[in-house]
Amino acid sequence: MSIIGKNIPHDAAHTHVRGESVYIDDMPHAQGELLVGILGSPYAHGRIKKLDLSKAQNIPGVVCLLTCKDLHHNVFGPITQDEILLVEEVSQFLGEPIVVIGAETREAIKQAKEAIVLDMEELEPILTINQAIAKKSFIDKVYKINRGDVDAAFKTADHTLDGVLVIGGAEHFYFESQACIAYPGENNELVVHSSTQNPSEVQHTIAHLLGLKQSEVVVITKRMGGGFGGKECQATHPAVMACMVALKTKRAARLIFNKDDDMKHTGKRHPFQNRYKVAFDNNGVITAVKFDLYADGGAYNDLSTAVIGRAITHSDNAYFLENAQLTGTICRTNLPPNTAFRGFGGPQGIITIENVMEEIAQYLGLDALLVRQRNLYGTGDTRNTTPYGQVISNNNLPAIFEQLSASCDYQNRKKAIDKFNAESETHVKGLALTGVKFGISFTNTMLNQANALVNVYLDGSVQVSTGATEMGQGVNTNMRMLACDEFGIPVEHVRVMATSTEKNNNTSATAASSATDLNGAATVDACRKIKENIAKAVQISMENISFEDSKVYDKQNPSNSRSFIEAVAATYRSRTSLGERGFYATKGIHFDWSKGHGEPFLYFTMGAAVSEVLIDRFTGTMTVERFDMLMDIGKSINPGINKGQMAGAFMQGIGWMTNEELRYSDKGALLNHSPTTYKIPNINDIPAIFNINTTDFYNTPNIRGTKAVGEPPLVLGISVYAAIKNALSYLTGSENVIAPLSIPATPEEILMRMECHYEKANNGKCTAGALRFNEFHDIQLPEIIYKNLRPVSSSVAAARSKNDLSGKTREKAKAILDV
Amino acid sequence: MRDFVSFFVNGKQVNVSGAAVFKPLTEYLREDMRLVGTKVVCAEGDCGACTIFEGRLDSSQNKIDYKPINACIKYVMQMDGCHVVTVEGVSFEEPLNAVQKAMVDGHGAQCGFCTPGFIMAMSGLCEKALSCKTKIDSQSSKEALTGNLCRCTGYESIISSTCAINTAEYKPVATLYPDKNIVPELKKISGQQVEIKTNKYHTFLPTTVEELASVKEQNKGLRIISGGTDLGVVMNKMEWVPEITACTANLSDARSIIEKDNKLIIGPNVTLAQVEDYLKDKCPEFSKLFELFGSPQIRYAGTLVGNIANASPIADTPPFLFVMDAELELANKSKRRMVPITKFYKGYKDLDLNQDEVIAAVHLPLPAKDETVRLYKVSRRIHLDISSFTAAFRLKINQGKIEQAAVALGGVGPVVIRATEVEKFLTGAPLTRDTFKKAGEIAAANIKPISDVRGSLDFRLRLSENIFQKLFFDLGKKEVCR
Repeated sequence: MSIIGKNIPHDAAHTHVRGESVYIDDMPHAQGELLVGILGSPYAHGRIKKLDLSKAQNIPGVVCLLTCKDLHHNVFGPITQDEILLVEEVSQFLGEPIVVIGAETREAIKQAKEAIVLDMEELEPILTINQAIAKKSFIDKVYKINRGDVDAAFKTADHTLDGVLVIGGAEHFYFESQACIAYPGENNELVVHSSTQNPSEVQHTIAHLLGLKQSEVVVITKRMGGGFGGKECQATHPAVMACMVALKTKRAARLIFNKDDDMKHTGKRHPFQNRYKVAFDNNGVITAVKFDLYADGGAYNDLSTAVIGRAITHSDNAYFLENAQLTGTICRTNLPPNTAFRGFGGPQGIITIENVMEEIAQYLGLDALLVRQRNLYGTGDTRNTTPYGQVISNNNLPAIFEQLSASCDYQNRKKAIDKFNAESETHVKGLALTGVKFGISFTNTMLNQANALVNVYLDGSVQVSTGATEMGQGVNTNMRMLACDEFGIPVEHVRVMATSTEKNNNTSATAASSATDLNGAATVDACRKIKENIAKAVQISMENISFEDSKVYDKQNPSNSRSFIEAVAATYRSRTSLGERGFYATKGIHFDWSKGHGEPFLYFTMGAAVSEVLIDRFTGTMTVERFDMLMDIGKSINPGINKGQMAGAFMQGIGWMTNEELRYSDKGALLNHSPTTYKIPNINDIPAIFNINTTDFYNTPNIRGTKAVGEPPLVLGISVYAAIKNALSYLTGSENVIAPLSIPATPEEILMRMECHYEKANNGKCTAGALRFNEFHDIQLPEIIYKNLRPVSSSVAAARSKNDLSGKTREKAKAILDV
Repeated sequence: MRDFVSFFVNGKQVNVSGAAVFKPLTEYLREDMRLVGTKVVCAEGDCGACTIFEGRLDSSQNKIDYKPINACIKYVMQMDGCHVVTVEGVSFEEPLNAVQKAMVDGHGAQCGFCTPGFIMAMSGLCEKALSCKTKIDSQSSKEALTGNLCRCTGYESIISSTCAINTAEYKPVATLYPDKNIVPELKKISGQQVEIKTNKYHTFLPTTVEELASVKEQNKGLRIISGGTDLGVVMNKMEWVPEITACTANLSDARSIIEKDNKLIIGPNVTLAQVEDYLKDKCPEFSKLFELFGSPQIRYAGTLVGNIANASPIADTPPFLFVMDAELELANKSKRRMVPITKFYKGYKDLDLNQDEVIAAVHLPLPAKDETVRLYKVSRRIHLDISSFTAAFRLKINQGKIEQAAVALGGVGPVVIRATEVEKFLTGAPLTRDTFKKAGEIAAANIKPISDVRGSLDFRLRLSENIFQKLFFDLGKKEVCR
């Protein structure tokens, strides 16, 4: 019996619940081990005028104080090399490390920070996307995808829509903050335990910055207490700093961020401000779009260029865009470099078009589900190609939309909400169905490779090692089950080992939802090689050999059978290898950014969700009353683990959409840097009715018929945003008026938007969401300015019709929207 | 006089003296005792990863009552006379206990970092379910786990795991660590005065309110640590331990609520959880407010007196105490005086409390039968969040007319205020939406809130205005409290 499809527990569940799982800071302190502290820039942008370490050096317990001068190289970066580890002269974000302190106690670190004389001149920082655009402060080029004749389509359009969608960032809030311990060895060797999604990147960066060979650095990752993208690139910084101290002092060095410092000084999900212009017909079918996506990249590139790429390639989402002009620009600001976060720009692209769907529906007075269905990618030979030229094979989207809207009783609930909203004086409800089509594969084709090492021991037990890192998502359990299935042995006999660059070299990050796809396939490849060796030893052909129920036998002659252990012993006696390396590289994918064209994805994970929300008209407080998700994730290796991925991703999505708001001071300091003020979803925030289901379409080219699941369900948090927008549309007080809404839709944002509509109904002045009805690129985004807080931009939108371009509609829009 | 702190950890007595007394409990557990199952994430009592059991003698003095609390904001000195049980302390049953088994089978753990805290909070729910003979369902699971954040699972699997716990197989802490072995020692410990001095820090654990007042009188700058749910955060985040402290942990007779003439006299160590429990039937509206007040871990540790003395303008209990005209009983070493709570706050964190005085009790009148009490708390996240805005109303309504009105607002200035202009306007006014609309306008016109991370000035003004209309619609309902 195959183990695939069984709900066995996570491979670390037993030690997790007993408190026995070891995370970096749980490792015992080595004799003489040092703690590492950091003195960072007090300004978001500043120039060092004086740095004097002499006083601090004499503090008892302080062992070393290191600066950029102690580095072999200071410049690095995963894609483009524009980042520095330690400030040389000018700091680019608040808290950017300047001095690395190695000390024997926390108290000594504290005293050292106070004793270091750092005199800096404050320079004017760039803290918002608007400021960066005004100063033309950008990272890399403008990324472009073009199809069709957009201008012609706009000229003939029945209706057009203009707007800017303001999308906030989000903190990863992995529970285990960035953490590393470095142990120095002989001949410059370093053994580094890092809480990272990307041990190879950590190894490479340490070697590069410290002037070592990569072969001198071993990076080990047993597990992470959560990653979510935040440890794809940014585990490197603490690791290098710990290694600096270890190498200098020849003592073990431990650097553990506390939650506040981690939140203040590491990158986040990219905030976006997306300008959109849409042409559509009377049925709500889109004929052309112009999307200009602006991401806040922070001070350095990090992964921003890849993030913006995924954002543009996902701004079609589930919908066919016949004529499209898509651009992506990364703004360079004086904030910590923003980085990967589950979805990797995809959600920020997707929400742009999902928001457009709601606005078209609001403007035309149509049901938004109908508008979405009319725009869905086709299943036949037409309307089936993305703006970048990839044909969508196996398009399950129309079926998913149909199945979900029926199973959640969409139409009847819509009617009930119409009635509720007409009657209730205290609350307003909204309903929305949004979709997801998420491309699977790293958009950088090169990264789609993996290797695996499988060792079979003489007692029949098996070790699997790959470059995949375990951060709770269950990749180890998946690989364990794949190896069990290959060898036909019980799960207890297979152990997935800590990820180490010593066993698996040049590995890609555990990211892009593809760790199981890539590393699982490599594991299976290694297992198959060992099976070939065993087959030779027991003299059964590969076609006829079967590994099942701990037995190895000839399918043609089942009496020719021996236990797996005997087969292993026979292989050993015949002096054949019982350890093999597997390798996998995804075939048939390619992309060329100079043309904005290619087939970057092996396949798409698809799904949809419906949210129903209830809003208190007096306080703006919102609750999700019901949520239904339907995902096509193919077959599951372990359905329990996949369900956990779907529920967890969705709740991260809902947090990003609703309560997680990053607030900065006008000096660029993050003000809410702990869970007291930064509110990730609580157990009480889960929808009262919470249905998660999967389809039974099995049409994927992937290993064992599976589909990647880590990121796509996060996107369905957007259904909550769309439902709030739908609720607001009941309050606009007049037809053809769009209800703009920024992200996150906090109680404050919702209440102020509602009040804005009430005021409009009273011919009052609108204080939020106002739009000066100008040509697209002249839109002046209103900024809400409060004392000592960084200004916050506000989403705006308005539409107009061809027949009425300079007439009534425009005048009406002007009257309503002018400040 | 004892010069060390004495308590139990997982059944074994430990005596701590010197600098270690002034460490956070989690640091002591993780580094001095190598009990690393207890995790620290936020270090401010907001995520629950550090949840442990604190066992203290109950009022009979013969039994230990185990409650889940946040270890990260407790300091070692506060632990005198208690039994700390960590995740390791409930994990010696091989392979898994009933709670752990449910979490493993239900895929309730992903990255595992929050898991030990969840196991302890779930165990706390089991203790409660067994002692109150109630069943665990999804609602009680959510209430019990409000104080535990998880970033991986989306909670769905944790709730179903919790509901699936086989409580018949759950072994209460008191069976793992029989009371007869520990109770006599705890009794000895808790009757003793403690004073500990290092070259940097100095702390007292007095046994009476009078001693506490006299220690405060003699030591300028002394900070009193009650539950420590706020001070613990300040100490962690500022990396600052006050030089001189006094802990209330060993005060005798300080944990009781006495009811007399429709009035409660609430002692200085009475926890928020005790108040919540006591008022379940007597003032359901106030009891219900506690569902939104912190988490079970905070309510088991924090005290009502501490919430008052901490003097935050966005504290959750003062608006209610304001409209109920509660009084504070202040004590020095020889005498006592009463102060109405509405007069207690003179400015931001500025109290009508002399150097030689401490709060000995809260005198809380209960609402009369013909009075309606309504309490509101608006925050970014509904549960386990600090308010952006609070409001409390106590109204006497007769034949469509408001006869008496008391209104208190929080989060709109440096202290909680009684909105006297609005009270005047409402008294005698007809019970119409228009009345409440106007009342809201008057309220908003008379306050000057600030903009901060919890809400802008505009938002708070709007809430002050709107809350009156919300009240109007809520008057017909039983209790709402949102």
